[in-house]
Amino acid sequence: MVTLALISDTFREALARKIFWVLFGLSTLLILFFLFLLRIDIASGATATITLFGRQAGANPNVDRLVRGVYGGIATFLYTWGMFLAVFASAGLIPSVLEPGRIELLLSKPLSRTHILLGRFAGNVLVVALNTSYLVLGVWIILGLKTGIWSPVFLISIATTTFIFAVLLSVVVFIGVTLESAAAATMITVALMIISPILAQTSLMMRLLSSEWSRNLWRGIYYSLPKVYEVGKMTLDAIQSRTFAGYAPIWSSAVFGAVVLGAALAIFQRRDF
Amino acid sequence: MDSEYAITTQDLTKVYRSRWTRREVRAIDGVSLNVRRGTIFGLLGPNGAGKTTFVKTLLSAVRPTRGSALIFGRDASQPEARRPIGYLPENHRFPTYFTGAGMLDFYAALSGVDAARRKKLIPEQLELVGLSEWATMRIGKYSKGMLQRLGLAQALIHSPTILILDEPTDGVDPVGRRQIRDILGGFEARGVTIFINSHLLAEVETFCREVAILHKGKVALSGKMQDLTAGKGYRLSVPHPPEALTEELRGRATSMAVRDGLVDFQFPSRELANGALDLLRAEHCEIEALAPTTSTLEDVFVRTVSK
Repeated sequence: MVTLALISDTFREALARKIFWVLFGLSTLLILFFLFLLRIDIASGATATITLFGRQAGANPNVDRLVRGVYGGIATFLYTWGMFLAVFASAGLIPSVLEPGRIELLLSKPLSRTHILLGRFAGNVLVVALNTSYLVLGVWIILGLKTGIWSPVFLISIATTTFIFAVLLSVVVFIGVTLESAAAATMITVALMIISPILAQTSLMMRLLSSEWSRNLWRGIYYSLPKVYEVGKMTLDAIQSRTFAGYAPIWSSAVFGAVVLGAALAIFQRRDF
Repeated sequence: MDSEYAITTQDLTKVYRSRWTRREVRAIDGVSLNVRRGTIFGLLGPNGAGKTTFVKTLLSAVRPTRGSALIFGRDASQPEARRPIGYLPENHRFPTYFTGAGMLDFYAALSGVDAARRKKLIPEQLELVGLSEWATMRIGKYSKGMLQRLGLAQALIHSPTILILDEPTDGVDPVGRRQIRDILGGFEARGVTIFINSHLLAEVETFCREVAILHKGKVALSGKMQDLTAGKGYRLSVPHPPEALTEELRGRATSMAVRDGLVDFQFPSRELANGALDLLRAEHCEIEALAPTTSTLEDVFVRTVSK
């Protein structure tokens, strides 16, 4: 009951912020686009007639490739712009709960501090998970009905997007607990997202860097930070039925998230308000 | 819950240290207090005396550097110890996305009230504080006084056995204040312990049974209200005394006040009051009244914090 109350409070606060509605609105626009503007008539087997805005697109395109292409596009949109918007929207949710006059009242209730922070964290992840599910499931069902192709691998993007958001949210929580600044939380989290594709070029950098210590430094940074880019690429590879190297980006990102969230909890436990 | 005291603190100390300069500030210093069950207790003190820090240690929002704080005999840092507490913070900041009813629902749920009981209790509490018609309105639209009353409803909704109220009538108009006092009076009759942190000395004096004054982080004075304000002098009221005599009596009195054509002299002892009376009679002055007086809480407070 208490956990549910904390989660629903986070929901209410998230919905009171317009940026979540922007995210929801963009998702709805995409769903409506596929529902009304994209017309696919299956002619025979894998070929089709595709009509966009009433005009036929291309000659005998491969429907399976087309569907996977759309899935890839949606997953990329979610993983980049959706994630940015989600981080922007979430950055204020932790500092707001720590405001004087609000946190004392929460702490006066028979709840542990861990419970309060994790309830907030879970609520935030759930908001983004629902929005992601709404878009992915919506597009998946519409394309499935229009093409007859039901590729469940696209649904993986719900899990990976939510997972990476949870990892990034642990950074938001950490910054929120230590600095109580939504702006700082946003800047640092977005920086992690931006730096990720650069860090992913590890094999190239190992060749370019001349000294051993600089290579070790690069490796240290690479292994300790979340693999936002690589998890996104894994998702895309899975959707496009391409092979990928392994699950290391997932578990190393999970370890990062767990450590950062654990540190945030430890600091929150000891803080005076 | 079988402790004789609702609140017990022993040598409670909180030292804030600056992270960079390592400078120390003792917000509270060795505070030992016992608040009996069922009493109405007032905590007073000038700004910066440590009142808020003391209250926050009771709620575990501030971790003491030394000493202990118990709520009904249980360590206040344990979440379960806070279950019997209803708390109204000073300068509260309730989330404005709530409606009045929604806010009560949220905080009651956090206090462990199940959904069925919340459904029954929320309209009752809103009725109690006179906000029934505002139940579905977002609290961003509420006035300060309304927010204060809603905050009180929030503190009361889970039937607490101890109420900790930080400036409970702050921003409330006189009618609302009376209403709050009446509500709290009802809870006192039910045996609920009420702990009030307030600057309004007159209000504390009329409402509290026991009081403690914090000064520079320490308990400067504590006791029953009637003992602290009991027989402390005599007031002599004289209509239009001669100017020279007025000046002489002013020198002997602890205070002098002029009101409605009367001059009131306050004397600390019966002897001094009788001496003044003799002087006035010798000058054929009329006497309006001579009466023993008790100290007001304000007198006690000023004397205590001026030491």
